[in-house]
Amino acid sequence: MFIAEKVGKEWTMDQAPQYAIDHVANSKKNIFEFEFLNTLSEKISNFFGISSESLFYVDLGISKHVFLLFFVSFIVVSTIVTLIQGYISHKKNIPNKFMSIIEMFVIYLRDDVLKNFIGDKEYRSWAPLVYTIFFFVLFGNVLGLIPIFDLTGLIGKIGYKAEMLGKDNILYLLSKGGHTVTANVNVTFAIATITFVAFIAAGIQKYGFVQHWKNLAPSGLPWPLYFVVVPIEFMGLFIRPLALTLRLAGNMMGGHIALIIFITFIFSATAELGGLAGFGIAPFSISLALGLTMLELLVAVIQAYVFALLTAVFIGMAIHVDH
Amino acid sequence: MNPLLTPELGTYVWSLVIFMTVLFVLRKYAWNPLLDFLEEREKDIAESLKMAESAKTDLEQIKDESEKILNEAKKEGKAIVGDSKLRAEESAAKILNDAKAKSNEFLDDAKSKIEIEKKKAIKEIKEEVVDLSLELATKVLQRNVKDDDNSKFIKSSLEAVKVDEAKS
Repeated sequence: MFIAEKVGKEWTMDQAPQYAIDHVANSKKNIFEFEFLNTLSEKISNFFGISSESLFYVDLGISKHVFLLFFVSFIVVSTIVTLIQGYISHKKNIPNKFMSIIEMFVIYLRDDVLKNFIGDKEYRSWAPLVYTIFFFVLFGNVLGLIPIFDLTGLIGKIGYKAEMLGKDNILYLLSKGGHTVTANVNVTFAIATITFVAFIAAGIQKYGFVQHWKNLAPSGLPWPLYFVVVPIEFMGLFIRPLALTLRLAGNMMGGHIALIIFITFIFSATAELGGLAGFGIAPFSISLALGLTMLELLVAVIQAYVFALLTAVFIGMAIHVDH
Repeated sequence: MNPLLTPELGTYVWSLVIFMTVLFVLRKYAWNPLLDFLEEREKDIAESLKMAESAKTDLEQIKDESEKILNEAKKEGKAIVGDSKLRAEESAAKILNDAKAKSNEFLDDAKSKIEIEKKKAIKEIKEEVVDLSLELATKVLQRNVKDDDNSKFIKSSLEAVKVDEAKS
């Protein structure tokens, strides 16, 4: 009963929710410190009059999620550019396995989403944005499901022993879960902001500044109705990116929290009922987690698609005003 | 504040910067070239499909034409065969008729020649008989014809000649 004693020392059942939240949340500390980033953060915050104690302090330090953003963007850019350039330059017209997956998504999005919602002629100028959103979100979602940094953390722990690693070590900080950038509301809000700017820009580009805002409310209504319609449409304008933000972040967050909770069943059972109970529950717990991971893979693709689809739909709505 | 909903403006700014960079890079090196490439390929495919379609119609036309030519040739061949058969039959009949006519002619000719020869022979025999009888008569006359025996002898000789004449 050595295991039960050891687990019991570090784990109590009521720790599980907090553990799961910590797993998904961003690191409280920056994992890399750069002097120029700190001074830049201070300058920007001072410019807007935000104190360092405030919740809205612009901390440009490299936190775990910022590091992962760099990681994801590196993977996205290197993978896609390599595959596409290779595909185009060879002129063999035969895509390899990964390229045919990318091509399938690209052609599907072009024919069924972009041409459908934005239009046969206008779609070309917005296609790169929609594609980038789709693949960036997709890679963010999928890389979050692969426990790369948990493994580096494990290697670090085995190699150096937990005490030697120290709480400030990069490997230790990276190993504490939360590798899904798209589960962070700030990240998804940034992408939603770009969607927001894009669909307003699309409307202004097509109709001019004044006419675009007039397009918000349908013309030809009896005038008292405008007091209701205009505020609703105006609110709708801001609700769209908020909905995008919370939909993606919520989906990714929820999946990962459920995944962690399923795994903590093992520790909770061990701590409360003894080592045998822990071993007994492990198969159930692991198969639940496995099933949920499969589901999460599906959700990862679906959410990326939904984000890209809604971006295209909003841009299309701004371009084709026919209420 | 729930750590899952904390505003982290730093992360927000970094996200914007990183996403815009990714967008810029992918737009230039991935999406635009790929879309151009796909468009070109689709154009190529559409063109070759069109070409295949026209080739197909051409082929059908050629097939129709060749069938027509074949049918005509068949008809002509049949006509030629029929014609030659008729001609051959005609000529065969003609040759047969000619041969028959010629053989008849030969037969008639031979018959008439035989007849003539026969008459000639009879005539010659008659002349001979006359000569002989004359000779006989003179011989008899020279022997002084007195008795009946002689006259009997002449009569019987003459009858014999007559019988010979009738027989021949």
